[in-house]
Amino acid sequence: MFELGPILSHVFQVLQTWVIGHGVPPLGAWILAKAIQVGVIVLLVSLIPMVLVYAERKVSAFMQARLGPMNVGPYGILQTLADGIKLIFKEDIIPIGSDRIVHILAPMVVVAPVFICFAPLPFGKGLVPIDLDIGVLFIFAVSGVSTIGVLMAGWGSGNKFSMLGGVRGAAQLVSYEVPRVLSVVPVLMFYGTQSLHGIAMAQQGRWFGVIPKWFIFYPVIGQIAFLIFLIASVAETNRTPFDIPEAESELVAGFHTEFSGLKFALFFLAEYAYVFVSSAMAVALFLGGDDGFSAGGIIPSWLWFIGKTFAIVFLFLWFRWTFPRLRVDRLMQFCWQFLLPWSIVNIGLAGLAVLLLK
Amino acid sequence: MAALLIGLSLVVVTSRSVFRSAIALTAALGVVAGLFALLGADFVAAGQLLIYVGGIMIIMLFAIMFSHRPAVGLDRQTNDQWLWGALFALAVACGLIVQFRAVYRGVFSTTVSMPTTISIGRLLLGDMVVPFEAISLVLLAALVGAVYFGMDYEERL
Repeated sequence: MFELGPILSHVFQVLQTWVIGHGVPPLGAWILAKAIQVGVIVLLVSLIPMVLVYAERKVSAFMQARLGPMNVGPYGILQTLADGIKLIFKEDIIPIGSDRIVHILAPMVVVAPVFICFAPLPFGKGLVPIDLDIGVLFIFAVSGVSTIGVLMAGWGSGNKFSMLGGVRGAAQLVSYEVPRVLSVVPVLMFYGTQSLHGIAMAQQGRWFGVIPKWFIFYPVIGQIAFLIFLIASVAETNRTPFDIPEAESELVAGFHTEFSGLKFALFFLAEYAYVFVSSAMAVALFLGGDDGFSAGGIIPSWLWFIGKTFAIVFLFLWFRWTFPRLRVDRLMQFCWQFLLPWSIVNIGLAGLAVLLLK
Repeated sequence: MAALLIGLSLVVVTSRSVFRSAIALTAALGVVAGLFALLGADFVAAGQLLIYVGGIMIIMLFAIMFSHRPAVGLDRQTNDQWLWGALFALAVACGLIVQFRAVYRGVFSTTVSMPTTISIGRLLLGDMVVPFEAISLVLLAALVGAVYFGMDYEERL
């Protein structure tokens, strides 16, 4: 009943026939439809970090036995909007000793890939913006481009400490990409496709009528893969306990010290948008995407997807206020000497399982 | 897009700051990935981004950031024979364009783009398994060498 997919495609069909009826060539109508979809995604990517920032402040406050933002709007809902407006009006400072073009381009290079990353995510039945056949690889590749932005930010600050922060941040990002990608390989081995929508679809159904066929419920490989992916994603998004690059109490603010106003807002937006993308990927790959009992059509698939994604986002937020920060050499040690061997062992076990089950 | 690529390559070669050349090179590799995507090679495009931009350029940027060059160098990037060099490059370019048009005349890709991951996988483990294994051995040697050179001097012996 509330399934948005068929409704939206119907709306686009009507729009396209109306536009073609007024003399626009079919290609133009198609481009218009795509432009509207792009606009919707850009809107989503801009709004979701606002919700996440508010959620983080409230969740962290409740975990610390305080209330969090309560002043601006009912229960502080408009707090992020106020913060955004404040950041837009702040003075834009470019340090003298820095490279101007690099300083200006760095936030853009960090933020631009996030918008693209939202495209292959399966938001629900019929709600995949683009069903890419290389969805998983595409998201990983485009996230790698943000790392260049981190390096540019460190260099463009004209400040040795920021540069060191940028280099450490980039080293951390590059290191944790490896277990992250390797932990997803068992999922690809089982489902034979890199399309996130295809993987989510393949996890429908139940074993013994009760246990959902999600990858996380596969005997050993599901849990190990999910845990490694989760930990590596927390490290990839520079969240505590892996937030040495931007640790507030350690390096002032690491590689984004010298960025004020809108540029800082862009870095912030990128971080929270990546948290959402990583959670959405974890849901699509391991938790069945939009699977869930639909109660006769009352609970639509996109609600399941959003619910599961926000559950994983809650995990991300929870980790921040539970674990102490890892020192940077132990952070690298953890990646290369623990996560990587286990992800490779996991691939071996998954190969065995594929052999036995098929 | 090809014009963008040529422009970026010119920036790579003529920029006076090493860091800016590296950033332009990164952007050029990104544009190459886009060209791959336009030609229907989706896996190669994503692989190009992941490996070249997300790996090799980052290492190159690390090396540049840690070497002690002043941020904006004032060295002249060309020597006195730049005009002859430019003419020679132009001549080579014209020759290449003429040759390509002669060989590929009228052969534009009219095939429907299909996802390439499955065929690449089949090739790698089917016809091309020997080069695949050879490349993995080369990578293993490179990894071992990198770890060895990264150890302290006393540890190595």
